[in-house]
Amino acid sequence: MDGSEPGADDLVFSCRDLRYAYLGRFPALDGVSLDVHKGEKVALLGPNGCGKSTLLKILDGLIFPDGGTFTAFGQPVTEDNLEDEQFSAGFRSRVGFVFQNSDAQVFSPTVREEIAFGCLQLGLPTGETAARVDDVLAMLGIADLAERAPFQLSGGQKKRVAIASVLVMNPEVLLFDEPTAALDPRTQAWLIELIADLSAAGKTIVLATHDLDALDVIADRCVVFAEDHTVSRVGTPQQVLTDRELLLRANLIHERSRVAL
Amino acid sequence: MGGTVQASRTPDWLLRGEPGLCRCGPAGIRRKGSFVEKTLTGGADLLRQVMFSEEIAGRPGLLQRLDPRLKAVSLVVLLVAVGLVHHVGTLVACYALTLLLATASRLPLAFFIKRVWLFIPIFSGIVVLPATLSIVTPGEVVLPLWHWHGAPQGFTAQGLTSAALVISRVATSVSLVVLLTLTTPWTRLLAALRALGVPRIFILIIGMAYRYVFLLLGVVTEMYEARKARTVRARRNDRAARGFVAASAGALFGRAGHLSEEVHLAMVARGYRGSPRTLHAFRLRAADAVAAVVVLAAAVTIYGGDVLVGR
Repeated sequence: MDGSEPGADDLVFSCRDLRYAYLGRFPALDGVSLDVHKGEKVALLGPNGCGKSTLLKILDGLIFPDGGTFTAFGQPVTEDNLEDEQFSAGFRSRVGFVFQNSDAQVFSPTVREEIAFGCLQLGLPTGETAARVDDVLAMLGIADLAERAPFQLSGGQKKRVAIASVLVMNPEVLLFDEPTAALDPRTQAWLIELIADLSAAGKTIVLATHDLDALDVIADRCVVFAEDHTVSRVGTPQQVLTDRELLLRANLIHERSRVAL
Repeated sequence: MGGTVQASRTPDWLLRGEPGLCRCGPAGIRRKGSFVEKTLTGGADLLRQVMFSEEIAGRPGLLQRLDPRLKAVSLVVLLVAVGLVHHVGTLVACYALTLLLATASRLPLAFFIKRVWLFIPIFSGIVVLPATLSIVTPGEVVLPLWHWHGAPQGFTAQGLTSAALVISRVATSVSLVVLLTLTTPWTRLLAALRALGVPRIFILIIGMAYRYVFLLLGVVTEMYEARKARTVRARRNDRAARGFVAASAGALFGRAGHLSEEVHLAMVARGYRGSPRTLHAFRLRAADAVAAVVVLAAAVTIYGGDVLVGR
């Protein structure tokens, strides 16, 4: 079983038979294939340690598969290709990644500098960067945090800053690693609405999540991983959520869990 | 069914009530906190101080209004001037000036003085102490401590003057540095250093080290609290504490390594290729030009005045 949907022309990502093992011994992906099309919302579901985060890192060109191929926007993404300045700048400006651990992503001395970081690295002029930063700060309602240091922020605020730091680059594709994890209900609801809005604005979204409650809002298509690091099912949120056996097998629910549809 | 499976795996003793290893009432035995607890409390105090310092740096005071670049350059000029002074009187006047500047910058004077004088007796005081004695600095003994072959030995006037000179110079210099750090937000100071030509990568590393030291401090505090919450009876407090320090240092090292990898990936994901670019927004104003003239005049006056005092 693979995560490909036939018949679409505007392919963003194409993964074929991806294999990856940490330290060469601990498998994280074992023959995973997946296509992502422009404007899609794809949710990667599965138990902890099944390879969702590893796949996201491969999709962002941060790590490279031991086997299989990965192409983005029709170009193979390899370590060698990403050493090319133009390819790297093009790829990085088109794909944004919001890490699960906001503390790792928010590393600059102030929120303003954090948000400006990506644009400056990609060579955007300082004036335009500053204007974009102000716009994103206002859009996410964090203008009052602009001069704050990261250690002065709450978990929810750090998540907003991390998202702002990616949105400011205006990427075509947004990758989210467990975006709603460890957030309070209000911030979770805000984030789910934001993902829906970004999708409505034409962004392609790939996210790893355990959040089944919001699945129909944050995904058009679900890719369910099995504990053996393979893709066990691809389907719409409705198809996945109604397949109780699949959810149990993939360790997404417990026998006593009730899934709201 | 799941509940039954769970219950069958639960050991009997966990299903029974536990009377407790000790009675809950007080026994009158008190144990002081270990050095680890004191160190971590110190760390938490540091965090509070940093928060307080940031608040002070944001107050509408005299020095807070000046451009950080000007303040950094002024600091160097004034430190050189103070370093060239050879008379205690001039240095005391300079120190009084720093107190005046602190007041004009709305710094709490007691906090400012404490911050300067807390470490001077420890570092400078111990270093200069031998120099005050006649065995190191011969001269007129003003306070005899012992006799050697009939000659009185002890503190000499020359030694005490030298010590006073060193201590007053250190106090004035540290006051100037503290004035800068308390009236400039850390991030603005880093940006100012960058604008003055300090290499970008150096500023980036310092900035990140400063940012993550608080995160790691939080991790260590949580580890200690988790241990403390499960410590029922500690017989040798410091011994256990040393074991904890060794174990947590190892665990922290691993976590710091993992975090640094993640941070690097987060930087690469946003286009970092080894040469960081940063945002700057500095503009010199008329007040900065006036301040530059005042600082230069002050430096000349300090040095010139000292030369005149020496004649």
